[in-house]
Amino acid sequence: MARNTTNTAPQSVSGVALMQGYGVREAKGFWADAWSQVLGRPRAVAGLAWIGIVLFFAIVSPFIASGHPLLLREIQDGQVVRTTSPLWEHLSAPDILLPIAALAGLVWIALPLSTPRSRRLAVLLLALLQGGLIVVTCNLVGAQFRKPYVPDWMRTLQLRKDFIPIAAGLICLAYTLIFIAASACDRWASRIAVPVLVGLVCWTVITGLGGVGVNRWNPPLHTFNYRQREARGEVEAVYTLIPFSPHQRSTQLDLLPPGTTLKEGLGDDADTVAGDPVFILGTDSLGQDVLSQMLHACRLSISIGLVSTGIAVCIGVTIGALMGYFGGWVDLVLFRVVEIFMAIPVLFLLIVAAAVLPRNTYVMMAIIGCVAWTGAARFIRAEFLKLRGQDFVQSAKAVGLPLRSILFRHMLPNGVTPVLVDASFTIAAAITIEATLSFLGLGPVDQASWGRLLADAQGQAGYFVWWVAIFPGLAIFLTVLSYNMVGEALRDAIDPKLKKARV
Amino acid sequence: MGTYILRRLILMIPTLIGITFLIFMLVALSPGGIGASLRMGSGQMEATNRALFEAYLEDRYGLDDPAPVQYVRWLGRISPIKFGQRDMVSPRGERLRPPKPVKDPLLWRLYADKLPPVPPLDETPLDDRVREYRRANNEYAQKRAAFIATRTQLEEALASYAREAQIAGVLTPAGKIKPDAFGRRVTTIDQSLASGKIVVERGAAHLRSWVEAQVARERLRRAFNAKPFPEAGFAIIPGVISIAWPDFGVSFSRNVPVLDLIGAALPVTLLLNLIAIPIIYMVAVPSGLLAATRQGTLLDTALGSLFVALWSIPTVWAGVLALGFLANKHYLGWFPVTGLHDTHAANFSFFPHTDADGVWHRGYVLDTLWHLCLPVACLVYTGFATLSKQTRAAMLDNFNADYVRTAKAKGVSGRDIVLRHVFRNSLLPIITMFATVFPAMLAGSVVIEKIFTIPGMGSLILDGIHLRDRELVLANALMVGAVNLVALLLADILYAVADPRITYD
Repeated sequence: MARNTTNTAPQSVSGVALMQGYGVREAKGFWADAWSQVLGRPRAVAGLAWIGIVLFFAIVSPFIASGHPLLLREIQDGQVVRTTSPLWEHLSAPDILLPIAALAGLVWIALPLSTPRSRRLAVLLLALLQGGLIVVTCNLVGAQFRKPYVPDWMRTLQLRKDFIPIAAGLICLAYTLIFIAASACDRWASRIAVPVLVGLVCWTVITGLGGVGVNRWNPPLHTFNYRQREARGEVEAVYTLIPFSPHQRSTQLDLLPPGTTLKEGLGDDADTVAGDPVFILGTDSLGQDVLSQMLHACRLSISIGLVSTGIAVCIGVTIGALMGYFGGWVDLVLFRVVEIFMAIPVLFLLIVAAAVLPRNTYVMMAIIGCVAWTGAARFIRAEFLKLRGQDFVQSAKAVGLPLRSILFRHMLPNGVTPVLVDASFTIAAAITIEATLSFLGLGPVDQASWGRLLADAQGQAGYFVWWVAIFPGLAIFLTVLSYNMVGEALRDAIDPKLKKARV
Repeated sequence: MGTYILRRLILMIPTLIGITFLIFMLVALSPGGIGASLRMGSGQMEATNRALFEAYLEDRYGLDDPAPVQYVRWLGRISPIKFGQRDMVSPRGERLRPPKPVKDPLLWRLYADKLPPVPPLDETPLDDRVREYRRANNEYAQKRAAFIATRTQLEEALASYAREAQIAGVLTPAGKIKPDAFGRRVTTIDQSLASGKIVVERGAAHLRSWVEAQVARERLRRAFNAKPFPEAGFAIIPGVISIAWPDFGVSFSRNVPVLDLIGAALPVTLLLNLIAIPIIYMVAVPSGLLAATRQGTLLDTALGSLFVALWSIPTVWAGVLALGFLANKHYLGWFPVTGLHDTHAANFSFFPHTDADGVWHRGYVLDTLWHLCLPVACLVYTGFATLSKQTRAAMLDNFNADYVRTAKAKGVSGRDIVLRHVFRNSLLPIITMFATVFPAMLAGSVVIEKIFTIPGMGSLILDGIHLRDRELVLANALMVGAVNLVALLLADILYAVADPRITYD
């Protein structure tokens, strides 16, 4: 009460004032304390800042680096007949959903509501998970329908006009119902409102409001002939900041050094294009702009790190909890499984898996997650072995709580700390692994990636392409370093034993 | 301790089986499956020949069995305890197994009432057992190939019969026959159809070749039982259980015994690691010691930051930069780009020398070291952080110990306390780190070997995976898994040896 009212100490303090709580400082929560310690270390703050930058570009890169013009005016006989925005038409569903989610999330966390921030954060995470799952499922279902040889019923279904709104609607509805059932909110209003809102927004974006706008169920075909048309005087175009798309290829423009302009790159054909944008970081061996690819690859890097670590932590926590709680033969059997994954070098297993499974981002996340869980499992096992004899666990057992409740509601919050600290290093490792696999040519196909760019550096005929080696490599290095720094800081803040042994 | 080690060793067996099974199933379930590279060799042939070739390969390497059966068969081969008749060892070192049985003719009930009898062998005495075995072996291989050829032709005839008689559900999308479904659906062949006649004709030819293959097998079995070569291992109960060295088989893709391939690749990887690990120790341990004695100073922080930064550099990036700037002729070009030796290394003298014309030759040893510079540099830098942090933590733990206070009270000099008391006590946990460093290095060298094109274990593993070479992949998985498990066990034992407070009993 009084603790915030006076800054200067009074001459004397009465016993009544003391009883009323004068001079009492509210203890900081465990995580808040750890967090403020992390923020006290400049290295960790720098790391967080870099991760923030990567996250920013992961969200906005489609808007600032695109070969599609922001505005396209079609001209006939000197008259503007139509104005369109190819950039908008070529955005994919995540391109639009991510900024919406980021803005809404910031507002949601920043608003002075009565609900505590931690609870709001949980709601936000669930909403993000729901949106992500909806987008992924729509992609997978759509890809299934787009395959070259599909059964006849799928083809006729696909040709129906209302197919996309209904299919997307069903997917959104299914996830909305699931997340209403599994919501973190206690109050029914927000329990229903948030999943319904997320489902509606996703459906609107994916189907273009049921077919009124641009539907984003099928990925659009890309042709980048705007500059040629502009040179012929058919159109006028306004471009974004970096006017190249990551997959905008041209064999004429391969391996241009940084700072080369488009017209310099084209040489004799310079007159066929309008405008003269600069390849700020040069081009790779396929003639794709390096900077644009690097910006678009931010999303892959961030999502691979977070999602695969999320998968790894979920698997690890579940298996580790079972091992630690039951012990005995459960421990013996499950620890053999852990040992299997420990004894095969992670990279070896990943190379096998990546070489034989389909090459897309989701599979990549899944296989990294399925390989990297042993650390989490061992930490949780050790913690649970300590915890299971303690009184609160025994009394929970005696009361007759279900196993799920004992393990995850009572024991897990007391033993999860080392796993969460370790997760930061796991994210760093996952990013390195993704880069390595992409470097070896086993990464996701048709997806800009820092590691894939790096593989281009050992160019053809023994030439070394330094700009393709230095910039993407630096990006990987800085990101990995940032996560490691944050992890170090977090570990030092949380583990008092290791405090004196910080690196 | 003894029971603990024994228990761990026994528990290793299920783990190793798990490792190899996991990797085998991953490769087997991949598009193309096991032996995909073998089938690629038939890409240029016309359809009939290709079918023949593929059927022959599948028979030869046992690829026509389901993947779990192939795996169990492989387990049987590498198991040191064998059941049944013992294998023989040919002078080349390959294992000779008792001849495989001949399968029953395909759907023989459709075109024959009963299987024809196999004529008995004439009892000619064997004059030269080795020559007789070789001849019988060749003959059986030929007859088996002929048997498979007639089966392939019969399959084609059945497929065209199914098409002509319009039997649904017995053809794969590629137009091949599904024998099981066909056998269930069709009981008699309609000979009024043109393709029906062909089926019966080819069926008769198939039966004839089956009889010939059976005869050849009998002959080979007799030659095998005459034991032309020494038998592998030694018997415990003769004819029932024997113990023999595991048989890792012959690589599909290179037709060389897998052990020979590993034998050539392992020393390269070991050489890389055995140079790299001492370097890591020589850099990390002194700097950890230094950081511990100057705890909290600028030096401590700087070393810590430097090592974390090094630890964060992706190996691929370091490799690419090193190759590009230091090895590429267009830049510095100080180091060789690929490989472990110069192309003329075979003609080099072993040590460096100056010849009669006063020209200096670097010799084999220096040449190899020169080639190893960049790979080793890329291998070591990531290891500094963990080890130096470990050293520092161990030292700091000991600084607070009572015996240090006692030593100080006795008036031992600070230098002696650090080097003779604290460092010695911190050394043991550092040494045991070796057991955990080694597996990590083994994995790390996969990427290094790929970047610098060094023919080590990493390259061998990658090749095996890309070519879907069953024997190579499985043997490598077993090798790497066993090395790592032994290293983990060694780490636990060394902990107990180093610290008497730890017991496992």
